[in-house]
Amino acid sequence: MFNIFYSLSLKQSDKRLAQIRGRFRRRISKELSVLKQGKEIDPKHLQYLRRRLCHSRYLIAFDQALKECTEFEETFVMEEYSRQIQTVFLHLAIIYAGKEDMEAAYFAYFVSQHKSRRIRPVDVIQNMMVEYMKRNFYCRVNALQALCQFGSEENVVKAISVLDWEGNFLHEKILTEGLMSFSGSHARLTSLLWEKLESFSQKMQLAILNYIRFKSGDYCQGMLLILENSRKDKELRLCAIRYFGKYFYEPARSLLLQFARNRDPLYWEYAAISITSLASYQGEAVIEVLVDAVHSSNWYVRYNAAVSLKAHQLSYTELAQVTGGHDRYAREMLMYQLERKRMEQKEWGAVS
Amino acid sequence: MREAFQTFFNLVGAFFTVYMMGYASFLFLSVTVGASCLYAAKRRNALKNELPNQYYVPVSILVPAHNESVTIEATLHSLLALDYKLYEIIVVDDGSTDDTWQVVQKAFHMVHVNRPIQRKVPCQMIEAVFETRDYKVPITLIRKKNGGKADALNMGINAAQYPYFLCMDADSVLQRDSLEKIVRPVLEQDHIVAVGGAVRPCNDVEIENGQILRYHMPRKILPCMQVLEYDRSFLAARILFDQFNGSIIISGAFGLFKKSVVIGAGGYDTTTMGEDMELVVKLHVFCREHNIPYSIRYASDAICWTQAPEKLSDLCKQRRRWHIGLYQSMTRHRRILANPRYGMVGFISYFYFLIYELLSPYIEVFGTVTMALALWMDFLNIRFMVLYLGIYVLYSSILSLTAFFTRIHTIDLTLTFRDVLKAIGLCGVEVFGLRFILAWVRMNALLGGKKKQRGWGQIERKRINFK
Repeated sequence: MFNIFYSLSLKQSDKRLAQIRGRFRRRISKELSVLKQGKEIDPKHLQYLRRRLCHSRYLIAFDQALKECTEFEETFVMEEYSRQIQTVFLHLAIIYAGKEDMEAAYFAYFVSQHKSRRIRPVDVIQNMMVEYMKRNFYCRVNALQALCQFGSEENVVKAISVLDWEGNFLHEKILTEGLMSFSGSHARLTSLLWEKLESFSQKMQLAILNYIRFKSGDYCQGMLLILENSRKDKELRLCAIRYFGKYFYEPARSLLLQFARNRDPLYWEYAAISITSLASYQGEAVIEVLVDAVHSSNWYVRYNAAVSLKAHQLSYTELAQVTGGHDRYAREMLMYQLERKRMEQKEWGAVS
Repeated sequence: MREAFQTFFNLVGAFFTVYMMGYASFLFLSVTVGASCLYAAKRRNALKNELPNQYYVPVSILVPAHNESVTIEATLHSLLALDYKLYEIIVVDDGSTDDTWQVVQKAFHMVHVNRPIQRKVPCQMIEAVFETRDYKVPITLIRKKNGGKADALNMGINAAQYPYFLCMDADSVLQRDSLEKIVRPVLEQDHIVAVGGAVRPCNDVEIENGQILRYHMPRKILPCMQVLEYDRSFLAARILFDQFNGSIIISGAFGLFKKSVVIGAGGYDTTTMGEDMELVVKLHVFCREHNIPYSIRYASDAICWTQAPEKLSDLCKQRRRWHIGLYQSMTRHRRILANPRYGMVGFISYFYFLIYELLSPYIEVFGTVTMALALWMDFLNIRFMVLYLGIYVLYSSILSLTAFFTRIHTIDLTLTFRDVLKAIGLCGVEVFGLRFILAWVRMNALLGGKKKQRGWGQIERKRINFK
C-alpha cells in the first residue's frame, strides 16, 4: 500500500518541485534586475528566503533555480547576489546544524555549490563545516568539499584534524582527491599539513603524503628523512620512495639503489617500488641494478625492473644481454615490455 | 494404526505451520526492509548524499566466455561505454569450440603478445594472449584450455592488474553507471571485500550506450515470471541480508571483489558448479578464521542486464545448475551452520538457504505426498486445505507484487499500466505453477551422476538489443 501511495505521490511531488523552482527563479530574476541597477536586494526577499529555505525541499528547488539563472545571467551579478544573501546562509547554517545528517549533508553540498567567490565566507559557516566532520559519512564528504571550495588553508587543516581525532572513516582517495580540488594556495596548504604531519594518524599521514606527492616537489629533504627512518610505517616509506620516482632527487639515489638490491623476501615491496622509481634515475649503477633485478625470483620485482629498463630507452643490443641469456623468465618479461613499447609507439603515432 | 497415522499427520501439520510461518515472516520482512531501504536511498540521492563522480578505484573487469560468439561483441561494447575512467577489460576464452576469440580479436583489432602471467591462483594453461590499447581502456584477450567458468575467472584474476576485480557473464550488459555504483561501498566503508550488484532480465529491453532506451516487461510469459522472481530476490531478500553483513550469494553475473583477499582465500573453486556462491561463503569463512575485519555489501543501484532463459528446458537446466552449486557450497562449508564463530551468517543466512532453498523442494514434495496420503486415508479436510492453499497463493502473490512495486524507488525503472497488469496476472501463476515445476527440477538436480561436471551449462543465446 505504501508503495502504491508513494508511486502516486511521486508524480505530484515532481510537479510541485518544478512549481517551487519556477517561483524561486522569478523572484531571483527580479532581484537580479534590481542588482543590475546598482541597488541592494530587497530585505523582504531575504526574509522570504530565510523562512522558506529552512525546508530541504525548498532548498533543493532554490539550488536548481540558482543553477538555471547562472546559465544565462552575467557572473558578476550572480556573485553579487550570492554575496548579499550570505546572511541567509548564516541563518540556514544554524538551522541545518540541528537537522538530521542527511539534510545537514545537503546543506554542506548547497554551500559548496553557491559560495561567493568575491568574499571569504563567514567563519561561522566554515566552523560549522569543520564540525560536520564529526557527523555521518556524507556530511564529512560534502563539508570537506565545501571547505576546499572556500579555500581557507587553516580551516581545511582544522577539518582534517577533527576528522582524525574523531577516528571517522573517510577513504584515503576521497581525502586526497578532495585536497586536490582545494581552491586556495596549495603551497600554503601543503606547508601547513607538513608542519602538523606528525600529529596525524598513520592513515591520515599517508593520504597527506599522497596529496603532497601530486602537488609539490618541495619536500624532498623531508621525504628522505621519512625514507631513512626505519621505525616509520612501511606504507609511509613506500610513499616516500614513490615521491622520488616523481621528483628526481640525487641524495635519494643511493638509498633507492640499496633498496633495489635487497633480495630479502621481507623487503620485496621496498625493492619493487624503488626499482620503479629508478626509472627516472640515469647512470650505469642504475642499469646494473635493474638488469640484475630482472632476474629476481620475485615476480613483481622482475616485472617492475623490465618496465624501468623499458623507460631507460636502452638499445636492442644492450637489452640482448638479458634477452639472449638463459633466464627464460627474465627474457619473457623484457620481450613483453618491448612488445608493449611497440604498441604504445603505434598508439602515439595514431594519436599524433 | 490409524492413531499412529493421526499422530504422524499432526506432526507434519505442526512442522508445516512453523515452516510456512518462517517463510512468510522472511518474505514479509524482506519486502518491507527492501522497500524502506530503497526509499531511503532515493531520498539520499535527492539530497545529494552521494559521492561526486570523481573518485575512481581501479577495477579489472573479467569476462569469462565459452561459446559466446553471438553476444560477446555487444558485451564488450557495453563495457567500453561505461562512464568510469579507471578500468581494464580482460576476456578469458575458456576453450570455446565456436569462434568466440576470433570475433573479439577481429572486432577490436587485437595484437598477439607474449605476456607473462603470474599464477596466483590455480588455472589451466594459457594458449595465447592478445592485447589492444586502441580504446579508452586496455583490453586483454586470453585464450586458455577449457576448465570451466571458475577456472576462467581464476585466469582473469591472475592477469588482473588492479586491486579490485569485477566478474560478469559474457551474455550480460552493464548499465552505464553501474561500475561507479558498485565501487561506491568501497569508498563509503572500510574493509569491504566484496560487493554484489543487482541483476535484471534484459529480454525485450532496448539499451543504447549502456542506458535504458525503452523498458517494459518481456513479451513472453516465462521471462516475465522470472522478472518477478528477480525482483523478489534483488529488490527484497538481498537487501535484508545486507543489513547484517549476511549476504552469502553474489551473482556470478555481476560482483566486485578485493583481489588480495580472494587470492588469500584461494580464488574460485574449480570443482564446483556454483563458484559464485562458493566464493562468497569462502570469503566469510576466510575472513572470520583469520580475524580479518570485513564487510560484504550489496549495491541495489548497480545494475547488470542479463538474458533470462525463454525456454522452459533452458530455465530447468539453469536452475538445476544453480541447485547443484548451492548444494556443493553448503556441504563444503557445513561447519558454519549455527556456529557462533560465524555470527549471523551461520545462524540466519546459512540456516535460511539450507531450509528454504536447498531443502525446500524436498519439503514441498514431501508435503504434497503427505497430502495425497492423507486424502487417501480420509484424514484431509479438503475445504480447509483449499482455503489454506488459497491464502498461501494470495499472500505470496501480494508479497511478489510488493517486491515488484518496489521498483518505483529505483531511479531507472518505470511502471507502465501494461506491466502492472502483466505482473498482477502472472504473480499467481508464478507462485502456483512455475515454483512447483522448478521445485521438481531442483529436487531432481541432486539425483544422478552429473554433479561433478564443470561445464558451462549453455542456454540458447540471442543477440542483445544493444545499440
